[in-house]
Amino acid sequence: MERGLIAIATAISVLAGCTTGIGEGRVFASAVEAMGKNPDAASKIRSMAIIGAAISETCAIYGLLIAFMLFSKI
Amino acid sequence: MEIQTTVYSIIIVTIFILLLMVFVNYKLRKYDPLTKPKGIVLLVMMGIQAIENMTKDATNEKVAKQISPYIFTVIIYIFLANISGLFSIESPTSNFSVTLVLAAITCILIEIFAIKENGVKKYLLGYFEPFAPMIVINLISKVSTLMSLSLRLFGNVIAGSVLMSVIYQLLASISSAIPLVGNINIIAIVVAPALHFYFDLFSGAIQAYVFTMLTISFIGKELPSQEN
Repeated sequence: MERGLIAIATAISVLAGCTTGIGEGRVFASAVEAMGKNPDAASKIRSMAIIGAAISETCAIYGLLIAFMLFSKI
Repeated sequence: MEIQTTVYSIIIVTIFILLLMVFVNYKLRKYDPLTKPKGIVLLVMMGIQAIENMTKDATNEKVAKQISPYIFTVIIYIFLANISGLFSIESPTSNFSVTLVLAAITCILIEIFAIKENGVKKYLLGYFEPFAPMIVINLISKVSTLMSLSLRLFGNVIAGSVLMSVIYQLLASISSAIPLVGNINIIAIVVAPALHFYFDLFSGAIQAYVFTMLTISFIGKELPSQEN
Protein backbone atom coordinates (compact mmCIF):
# COMPACT_ATOMS: atom_id res chain seq x y z
CA MET A 1 0.00 0.00 0.00
CA GLU A 2 2.66 2.46 1.11
CA ARG A 3 4.96 1.55 -1.77
CA GLY A 4 2.14 2.17 -4.23
CA LEU A 5 1.49 5.61 -2.77
CA ILE A 6 5.19 6.49 -3.03
CA ALA A 7 5.16 5.38 -6.67
CA ILE A 8 2.16 7.61 -7.40
CA ALA A 9 3.86 10.55 -5.63
CA THR A 10 6.99 9.99 -7.73
CA ALA A 11 4.91 10.14 -10.90
CA ILE A 12 3.18 13.34 -9.76
CA SER A 13 6.47 15.07 -8.95
CA VAL A 14 7.73 14.45 -12.48
CA LEU A 15 4.63 16.33 -13.73
CA ALA A 16 6.63 19.53 -13.07
CA GLY A 17 8.19 18.78 -16.43
CA CYS A 18 5.06 19.23 -18.54
CA THR A 19 4.56 22.92 -17.84
CA THR A 20 8.30 23.51 -18.09
CA GLY A 21 8.14 22.14 -21.62
CA ILE A 22 5.60 24.81 -22.54
CA GLY A 23 7.74 27.50 -20.90
CA GLU A 24 10.91 26.48 -22.71
CA GLY A 25 9.03 26.36 -25.98
CA ARG A 26 7.87 29.93 -25.40
CA VAL A 27 11.45 31.03 -24.67
CA PHE A 28 12.70 29.71 -27.99
CA ALA A 29 9.62 30.87 -29.90
CA SER A 30 10.27 34.44 -28.74
CA ALA A 31 13.98 34.05 -29.50
CA VAL A 32 13.30 32.94 -33.06
CA GLU A 33 10.84 35.79 -33.51
CA ALA A 34 13.39 38.30 -32.25
CA MET A 35 16.06 36.85 -34.52
CA GLY A 36 13.75 37.22 -37.50
CA LYS A 37 13.11 40.86 -36.66
CA ASN A 38 16.75 41.64 -35.87
CA PRO A 39 19.16 39.20 -37.56
CA ASP A 40 22.26 41.23 -36.59
CA ALA A 41 21.76 40.51 -32.90
CA ALA A 42 21.31 36.75 -33.47
CA SER A 43 24.35 35.64 -31.45
CA LYS A 44 23.38 37.77 -28.43
CA ILE A 45 19.78 36.57 -28.57
CA ARG A 46 20.93 32.96 -28.83
CA SER A 47 23.02 33.14 -25.65
CA MET A 48 20.22 34.91 -23.78
CA ALA A 49 17.72 32.28 -24.96
CA ILE A 50 19.95 29.45 -23.76
CA ILE A 51 20.28 31.08 -20.33
CA GLY A 52 16.52 31.57 -20.18
CA ALA A 53 15.91 27.96 -21.12
CA ALA A 54 18.43 26.73 -18.54
CA ILE A 55 16.83 28.78 -15.78
CA SER A 56 13.30 27.70 -16.60
CA GLU A 57 14.54 24.12 -16.86
CA THR A 58 15.52 24.31 -13.19
CA CYS A 59 11.88 23.95 -12.25
CA ALA A 60 11.66 20.58 -13.96
CA ILE A 61 14.99 19.58 -12.42
CA TYR A 62 13.58 20.21 -8.92
CA GLY A 63 10.71 17.88 -9.71
CA LEU A 64 13.12 15.27 -11.05
CA LEU A 65 15.28 15.55 -7.90
CA ILE A 66 12.27 14.93 -5.67
CA ALA A 67 11.31 12.02 -7.91
CA PHE A 68 14.76 10.47 -7.47
CA MET A 69 14.60 10.98 -3.71
CA LEU A 70 11.18 9.31 -3.54
CA PHE A 71 12.23 6.57 -5.97
CA SER A 72 15.02 5.45 -3.64
CA LYS A 73 12.40 4.90 -0.88
CA ILE A 74 10.24 2.43 -2.85
CA MET B 1 33.54 6.76 9.00
CA GLU B 2 32.74 6.10 5.38
CA ILE B 3 34.38 8.35 2.78
CA GLN B 4 32.17 9.42 -0.12
CA THR B 5 33.50 8.51 -3.55
CA THR B 6 33.17 12.10 -4.77
CA VAL B 7 35.95 13.13 -2.35
CA TYR B 8 38.48 11.33 -4.55
CA SER B 9 37.20 13.05 -7.70
CA ILE B 10 37.33 16.43 -5.94
CA ILE B 11 41.00 15.78 -5.17
CA ILE B 12 41.70 14.60 -8.74
CA VAL B 13 40.02 17.67 -10.30
CA THR B 14 41.80 20.02 -7.89
CA ILE B 15 45.21 18.50 -8.68
CA PHE B 16 44.44 18.70 -12.39
CA ILE B 17 43.54 22.40 -12.13
CA LEU B 18 46.69 23.03 -10.08
CA LEU B 19 48.88 21.37 -12.73
CA LEU B 20 47.05 23.25 -15.48
CA MET B 21 47.68 26.56 -13.74
CA VAL B 22 51.38 25.80 -13.22
CA PHE B 23 51.63 24.88 -16.90
CA VAL B 24 49.83 28.05 -18.06
CA ASN B 25 51.99 30.15 -15.74
CA TYR B 26 55.14 28.59 -17.24
CA LYS B 27 53.85 29.25 -20.79
CA LEU B 28 52.92 32.85 -19.96
CA ARG B 29 56.32 33.56 -18.44
CA LYS B 30 58.01 32.26 -21.57
CA TYR B 31 55.69 34.26 -23.85
CA ASP B 32 57.22 37.25 -25.63
CA PRO B 33 54.66 40.12 -25.69
CA LEU B 34 55.90 41.34 -29.06
CA THR B 35 54.98 38.15 -30.92
CA LYS B 36 51.56 36.78 -31.86
CA PRO B 37 50.03 34.67 -29.06
CA LYS B 38 49.17 31.09 -30.03
CA GLY B 39 48.06 27.84 -28.47
CA ILE B 40 47.11 27.90 -24.82
CA VAL B 41 48.33 31.49 -24.31
CA LEU B 42 45.84 32.72 -26.91
CA LEU B 43 43.07 30.64 -25.32
CA VAL B 44 43.74 32.06 -21.85
CA MET B 45 43.88 35.63 -23.21
CA MET B 46 40.58 35.21 -25.03
CA GLY B 47 39.00 33.73 -21.90
CA ILE B 48 40.15 36.59 -19.69
CA GLN B 49 38.93 39.14 -22.22
CA ALA B 50 35.52 37.48 -22.52
CA ILE B 51 35.08 37.32 -18.74
CA GLU B 52 36.11 40.97 -18.32
CA ASN B 53 33.61 42.07 -20.98
CA MET B 54 30.90 39.96 -19.34
CA THR B 55 31.50 41.48 -15.89
CA LYS B 56 31.79 45.03 -17.24
CA ASP B 57 28.39 44.74 -18.90
CA ALA B 58 26.59 43.89 -15.67
CA THR B 59 28.60 45.86 -13.10
CA ASN B 60 30.81 48.93 -13.10
CA GLU B 61 34.50 49.15 -14.03
CA LYS B 62 35.88 48.96 -10.48
CA VAL B 63 33.82 45.98 -9.32
CA ALA B 64 34.47 44.17 -12.61
CA LYS B 65 38.20 44.25 -11.92
CA GLN B 66 37.69 42.83 -8.44
CA ILE B 67 35.35 39.96 -9.28
CA SER B 68 36.59 38.77 -12.66
CA PRO B 69 39.41 36.55 -11.18
CA TYR B 70 36.84 34.82 -8.98
CA ILE B 71 34.43 34.43 -11.90
CA PHE B 72 37.14 32.91 -14.11
CA THR B 73 38.17 30.48 -11.36
CA VAL B 74 34.60 29.37 -10.76
CA ILE B 75 33.82 28.91 -14.45
CA ILE B 76 36.94 26.74 -14.93
CA TYR B 77 36.24 24.69 -11.80
CA ILE B 78 32.55 24.06 -12.56
CA PHE B 79 33.21 23.27 -16.22
CA LEU B 80 36.00 20.77 -15.44
CA ALA B 81 33.95 19.27 -12.62
CA ASN B 82 30.93 18.83 -14.88
CA ILE B 83 32.83 17.20 -17.74
CA SER B 84 34.76 14.89 -15.41
CA GLY B 85 31.99 12.35 -16.02
CA LEU B 86 33.60 11.81 -19.44
CA PHE B 87 36.73 10.47 -17.73
CA SER B 88 34.68 7.95 -15.74
CA ILE B 89 35.17 9.67 -12.38
CA GLU B 90 32.16 10.79 -10.43
CA SER B 91 31.53 14.51 -10.96
CA PRO B 92 32.44 16.63 -7.88
CA THR B 93 29.38 18.80 -8.48
CA SER B 94 27.15 15.75 -7.94
CA ASN B 95 27.99 16.17 -4.25
CA PHE B 96 25.65 18.70 -2.67
CA SER B 97 28.34 20.03 -0.30
CA VAL B 98 30.44 21.25 -3.23
CA THR B 99 27.64 23.19 -4.91
CA LEU B 100 26.45 24.53 -1.54
CA VAL B 101 29.94 25.88 -0.82
CA LEU B 102 30.16 27.49 -4.27
CA ALA B 103 26.75 29.12 -3.81
CA ALA B 104 27.68 30.23 -0.28
CA ILE B 105 30.82 31.97 -1.57
CA THR B 106 28.67 33.76 -4.14
CA CYS B 107 26.12 34.81 -1.50
CA ILE B 108 28.82 36.13 0.85
CA LEU B 109 30.35 38.08 -2.06
CA ILE B 110 26.94 39.60 -2.87
CA GLU B 111 26.56 40.79 0.74
CA ILE B 112 30.15 42.12 0.86
CA PHE B 113 29.66 44.15 -2.30
CA ALA B 114 26.27 45.39 -1.11
CA ILE B 115 27.83 46.67 2.12
CA LYS B 116 30.92 48.11 0.42
CA GLU B 117 29.04 49.99 -2.28
CA ASN B 118 26.07 51.24 -0.25
CA GLY B 119 27.51 51.73 3.23
CA VAL B 120 26.38 49.87 6.37
CA LYS B 121 23.46 52.16 7.19
CA LYS B 122 21.88 52.05 3.75
CA TYR B 123 22.49 48.29 3.56
CA LEU B 124 20.67 47.65 6.84
CA LEU B 125 17.84 50.00 5.87
CA GLY B 126 17.52 48.07 2.62
CA TYR B 127 16.01 45.19 4.59
CA PHE B 128 13.03 47.38 5.54
CA GLU B 129 12.22 48.35 1.95
CA PRO B 130 9.51 49.09 0.81
CA PHE B 131 7.96 48.97 4.34
CA ALA B 132 9.02 47.51 7.71
CA PRO B 133 7.22 44.10 7.84
CA MET B 134 8.87 43.18 4.53
CA ILE B 135 12.01 42.23 6.49
CA VAL B 136 10.72 38.64 6.71
CA ILE B 137 10.34 38.35 2.95
CA ASN B 138 13.70 40.05 2.33
CA LEU B 139 15.43 37.57 4.65
CA ILE B 140 13.71 34.64 2.93
CA SER B 141 14.84 35.93 -0.45
CA LYS B 142 18.47 35.91 0.76
CA VAL B 143 18.21 32.24 1.71
CA SER B 144 16.35 31.34 -1.47
CA THR B 145 19.23 32.73 -3.57
CA LEU B 146 21.57 30.29 -1.83
CA MET B 147 19.20 27.35 -2.22
CA SER B 148 18.30 27.99 -5.87
CA LEU B 149 21.90 28.55 -6.97
CA SER B 150 23.19 25.40 -5.30
CA LEU B 151 20.22 23.18 -6.14
CA ARG B 152 20.19 24.24 -9.81
CA LEU B 153 23.76 23.08 -10.38
CA PHE B 154 23.44 19.98 -8.19
CA GLY B 155 20.11 18.95 -9.72
CA ASN B 156 21.31 19.28 -13.29
CA VAL B 157 24.47 17.27 -12.69
CA ILE B 158 22.86 14.53 -10.60
CA ALA B 159 19.96 14.20 -13.06
CA GLY B 160 22.42 13.79 -15.93
CA SER B 161 24.52 11.18 -14.16
CA VAL B 162 21.52 9.18 -12.90
CA LEU B 163 19.90 9.21 -16.36
CA MET B 164 23.19 8.06 -17.92
CA SER B 165 23.51 5.12 -15.52
CA VAL B 166 19.86 4.15 -16.13
CA ILE B 167 20.40 4.30 -19.91
CA TYR B 168 23.57 2.18 -19.62
CA GLN B 169 21.64 -0.49 -17.70
CA LEU B 170 18.81 -0.43 -20.25
CA LEU B 171 21.20 -0.75 -23.19
CA ALA B 172 23.08 -3.56 -21.45
CA SER B 173 19.87 -5.51 -20.95
CA ILE B 174 18.87 -4.96 -24.61
CA SER B 175 22.24 -5.98 -26.01
CA SER B 176 22.38 -9.09 -23.81
CA ALA B 177 19.58 -10.46 -26.06
CA ILE B 178 21.91 -10.38 -29.08
CA PRO B 179 23.50 -13.81 -29.64
CA LEU B 180 27.30 -14.36 -29.62
CA VAL B 181 28.30 -10.87 -28.39
CA GLY B 182 25.65 -10.70 -25.65
CA ASN B 183 27.95 -9.91 -22.73
CA ILE B 184 29.55 -6.92 -24.48
CA ASN B 185 27.40 -3.79 -24.26
CA ILE B 186 27.48 -3.24 -28.03
CA ILE B 187 24.51 -0.85 -28.43
CA ALA B 188 25.93 1.52 -25.82
CA ILE B 189 29.05 2.04 -27.96
CA VAL B 190 26.81 3.54 -30.66
CA VAL B 191 24.24 5.38 -28.54
CA ALA B 192 26.18 6.62 -25.49
CA PRO B 193 28.58 9.16 -27.10
CA ALA B 194 25.74 11.42 -28.27
CA LEU B 195 24.15 11.31 -24.80
CA HIS B 196 27.50 11.98 -23.14
CA PHE B 197 27.89 14.95 -25.45
CA TYR B 198 24.56 16.37 -24.31
CA PHE B 199 24.59 15.52 -20.59
CA ASP B 200 28.28 16.09 -19.85
CA LEU B 201 29.68 18.58 -22.36
CA PHE B 202 26.68 20.70 -23.39
CA SER B 203 24.80 20.71 -20.12
CA GLY B 204 28.01 21.12 -18.13
CA ALA B 205 29.14 24.14 -20.14
CA ILE B 206 25.68 25.74 -19.98
CA GLN B 207 25.43 25.23 -16.23
CA ALA B 208 28.89 26.72 -15.63
CA TYR B 209 27.89 29.71 -17.76
CA VAL B 210 24.53 30.12 -16.03
CA PHE B 211 26.07 29.92 -12.55
CA THR B 212 28.62 32.62 -13.32
CA MET B 213 26.11 34.82 -15.17
CA LEU B 214 23.77 34.68 -12.19
CA THR B 215 26.64 35.48 -9.81
CA ILE B 216 27.58 38.53 -11.88
CA SER B 217 24.03 39.78 -12.26
CA PHE B 218 23.23 39.29 -8.56
CA ILE B 219 26.29 41.35 -7.65
CA GLY B 220 25.36 43.94 -10.29
CA LYS B 221 21.84 44.18 -8.86
CA GLU B 222 23.19 45.24 -5.43
CA LEU B 223 25.24 48.12 -6.81
CA PRO B 224 23.76 51.63 -6.74
CA SER B 225 22.32 52.59 -10.14
CA GLN B 226 25.01 53.93 -12.45
CA GLU B 227 25.07 57.57 -13.45
CA ASN B 228 24.61 58.20 -17.14
